[in-house]
Amino acid sequence: MPLSKRKTGYTSDWVRLVPFLLFCLAFEVVPILFLIRGSIIDRNTSQLTIQHYLNLNHPLYLNSFLNSIKISGLTAIVGVIFGTFIGYAIYRWPSRRIQEILMTLSDVTTNFAGAPLAFAFVVILGMNGVITQFFLEYFQYELYPTFSIYSFSGLTLAYIYFQLPLMVLLILPAFAGIKQEWRESAQSLGANAFQFWRHIGVPVLMPSLIAGVTLLFANAFGAYATAYTLVEAKLSLVTLQIGYMIAGEVRKDPAIGMAMAVVSLIIMGLSIGIYQAATIRARRWSKS
Amino acid sequence: MKNPQKPLRETNKKVRPAGWQIVAVALFLFYMLLPIVSTYIFSVATRWDRTILPEGYTLEFYIRAFQTSYFIITLRNSLILSAATILVSLIVIVPTVYWVHTRLTGFKPLLDVLMILPFGIPTVVLALALVQVYNVPPLARSPILLIGAVVVYSMPFMYRPVSNAMQAIDALTLTEAGQSLGANVFQVLSKIIIPNILPGILSGSLLVFSTVFAEYTLTSLIVGAKFKTFPLLLVEYTRINGNIAAAFSVVSFTIAWLVSILILWVGTKGQNGATETIQAR
Repeated sequence: MPLSKRKTGYTSDWVRLVPFLLFCLAFEVVPILFLIRGSIIDRNTSQLTIQHYLNLNHPLYLNSFLNSIKISGLTAIVGVIFGTFIGYAIYRWPSRRIQEILMTLSDVTTNFAGAPLAFAFVVILGMNGVITQFFLEYFQYELYPTFSIYSFSGLTLAYIYFQLPLMVLLILPAFAGIKQEWRESAQSLGANAFQFWRHIGVPVLMPSLIAGVTLLFANAFGAYATAYTLVEAKLSLVTLQIGYMIAGEVRKDPAIGMAMAVVSLIIMGLSIGIYQAATIRARRWSKS
Repeated sequence: MKNPQKPLRETNKKVRPAGWQIVAVALFLFYMLLPIVSTYIFSVATRWDRTILPEGYTLEFYIRAFQTSYFIITLRNSLILSAATILVSLIVIVPTVYWVHTRLTGFKPLLDVLMILPFGIPTVVLALALVQVYNVPPLARSPILLIGAVVVYSMPFMYRPVSNAMQAIDALTLTEAGQSLGANVFQVLSKIIIPNILPGILSGSLLVFSTVFAEYTLTSLIVGAKFKTFPLLLVEYTRINGNIAAAFSVVSFTIAWLVSILILWVGTKGQNGATETIQAR
């Protein structure tokens, strides 16, 4: 009987997960633990210290955190508002074929981050870009120097490019969770469209909206390649600062880089944690 | 979304989209397509910096782009990195997912958490941590270290489709059936399980491919110029020659579109499409 030969106890079976766990330890867990350790240990005295975190209290680092939070928050909110609106338009679209095409488009474009996307935005909104030319020709309006693709305003537009489709993909299942019967029951009880959304629609969507804001925030906060290609030294962001520390372009205390990394891990961890909790809550509606 | 034939919402066939829907979708399409279409046009334009439409068309920049000394090398390096990542990812993840779905079901929550972790770690932070810990040769700033980093970063893309495919088959019953016929673990995996979850494996591999092929951050920060990949060449040219950079961007966009179409095609063959994977982000 081959079945009887099976080992049943966990004691020997979990050994099969060792290759995977070792891999995660080696390339994920241990390096992160070392990072945390490095950020709270003084190199010379090997004593615990919070000095590295206090050193972050410098205009350069404070500004980079402020800029990162500002651009992530702004693009997350814009992405959630417009993404929900566009998502609803797609959801109510009568043709399944068109819906599928738009979902595939969102799928592809949300992954179009990085250098090619950044360059595409230079093509349309650079100093001589298509849209820049269009404004000059038809409205006699010079976008530059008020607007620049190489600045906060330009980077915001580039980030919204990958935030918007991500929100569309996130919100579509949530709309499907609003049952047609609820709408009919609300109507038969005399509720108008506004009352329906205020008392049923928005509360049902709320976990998905919160999940959207946090996921989009984390998505933008961790972004590097798009920002590096577009703004480089013209705008200070957390990820760019950490990048400079690794590349060794600025010879600074590596412990400051580690402290920055740990703070951004906490910010990202909080966002992803809330996202996860909100997603579990959102699933309640789509289950049945 | 159980029945692929039905629209997301039950509607009468004759209903037309409302005006506001057409406007919203049109603006969305405009935002999503204008940068891409413009880059395609820019790559074949002779000059396009003084007028709304290009002054003329040429393939010159493609010829020059393909002749740049690093084009073939970086393309090759990107393919090596993608292939190595897919291989390591498959070896690490497929057996693990199999065990977790058959005999070690208690570990599934742990695995789910480990698979979300990479999304909470910015790529620059992962790069910094790896560079700091592995700072001795031969691992320090080596392509091997890069492969490890890229596997971690792209793991969720492989895990989701493979896990969904494994969920869809009754792995335990299939295993017991195989074993009762005298098959050992390797035979069960290679002859029964893997053929049954092949669509999931293919979707996962393609998703990892498109992620790794476009990967810039880890490559530039961990190895840099020593192992130059295609995205590194692209960024370099955005600062040297815009027309050639446009040609490179077009190559990059086209590969992304092709892989997406392949994923969609594999998805319709199997049960799970790429949509669900992306939603998991």
